Amino acid sequence: MASSSRFTSGIFLAAFLLIFRASAAQDPKPTPGNTIKVQLGDPVAAQKFASSPKLWISEVIDRSANPQPKLVLKERGGLFLDRQPTEIVREALEQSLKAANLLAADASSADLVLKIYLFQFGLAQGSGLDFFGKVEFAAVVKNPKSGQTVEVRAAGTSIAKRAVRKKSIEKNVQDDIEESLRDALRNFLRGQQLKDAVGELGKDTGSASAVPPNA
Amino acid sequence: MRMRLYLAAVALVLACTGRAAAGTGKTPQYKTVEAKHFAQAEGVELDPTFGDYFYAELRQELNKAKLAKEVIGEGETVDDADAPQSIVISGTFTEYKKGSVVKSALIGFGAGFRSLKIDANVQRRSDKQNLGVMHVHVKANPRWNPETLAKFAARQLVKETKDELKKTAK
Repeated sequence: MASSSRFTSGIFLAAFLLIFRASAAQDPKPTPGNTIKVQLGDPVAAQKFASSPKLWISEVIDRSANPQPKLVLKERGGLFLDRQPTEIVREALEQSLKAANLLAADASSADLVLKIYLFQFGLAQGSGLDFFGKVEFAAVVKNPKSGQTVEVRAAGTSIAKRAVRKKSIEKNVQDDIEESLRDALRNFLRGQQLKDAVGELGKDTGSASAVPPNA
Repeated sequence: MRMRLYLAAVALVLACTGRAAAGTGKTPQYKTVEAKHFAQAEGVELDPTFGDYFYAELRQELNKAKLAKEVIGEGETVDDADAPQSIVISGTFTEYKKGSVVKSALIGFGAGFRSLKIDANVQRRSDKQNLGVMHVHVKANPRWNPETLAKFAARQLVKETKDELKKTAK
């Protein structure tokens, strides 16, 4: 009698575990409760160019090979971005270029055209003790008059603490991604590579070499 | 009993004054510090993501240590006026041992631990003068994620950099 009840309870336990595992294995779905809004906040100060060239972002292409670019964290019911990473990067870059008075009104009036290839946006593999945010992209800077191009690479990283509560996880991941986005934009807009690219391509447009920001 | 208490009090006072004297050698404050991605020596089989994680950890530790007013990213421009007050940290992962869980469990006492050796140097940005050379060797449990080594190594490296800069400033 005791053995049959043990057997029945064993069957129930196995069934429960199977159901639990099957439900846990399902891909998380975006809901208002597990979606974060990543935005730059204050624009990133760009380096000052001697004769400020006008830049235009033609397109931002996702090259991350990530089938779910909006999903940043799979565990604990998932965590999603509210927009595609390409949209977030474009908006942040335009905001910073506009603040530095480097953004052209349209493609035809631009001295240099940027084509952005986004390689990584979100969380990367870290130590497991924290969240490791990483944003990495390459910009192909093109002089539309001469057709000459130069590639400029930029990367931003950030590390944030792990958390236990879902709300704290959301906050930490959001802060981490925003910080890594800011770092990547800063790396791009204040980088030696962009300075060299503008100097090289600016020969035809009349733009001279750049000077770093005072701030 | 009284004599013992008196001796203990004297020892405590001496220790405190020694600490205070050691603390007077301050690390100079720099305008900017740039951390480079570290290279891998031949034969070192580390995951490419390890380098990125170490770079991020190093920058975070430099921020915490307040070695400079600003911790800039790799390849960022610095004002010519600030260049003499700016430093660059670069280095190489010279040795990495994966470790062995079996050895660690059977022998213990640190046997079979993962280990990482780093050689790094700190240079002044303006004239590329070497301000210090650091050698870091860290170990971690082989059951832990390899990236935890990066965490320990970054912390150790920043501590040694601070000490080297203190020595140079004297």
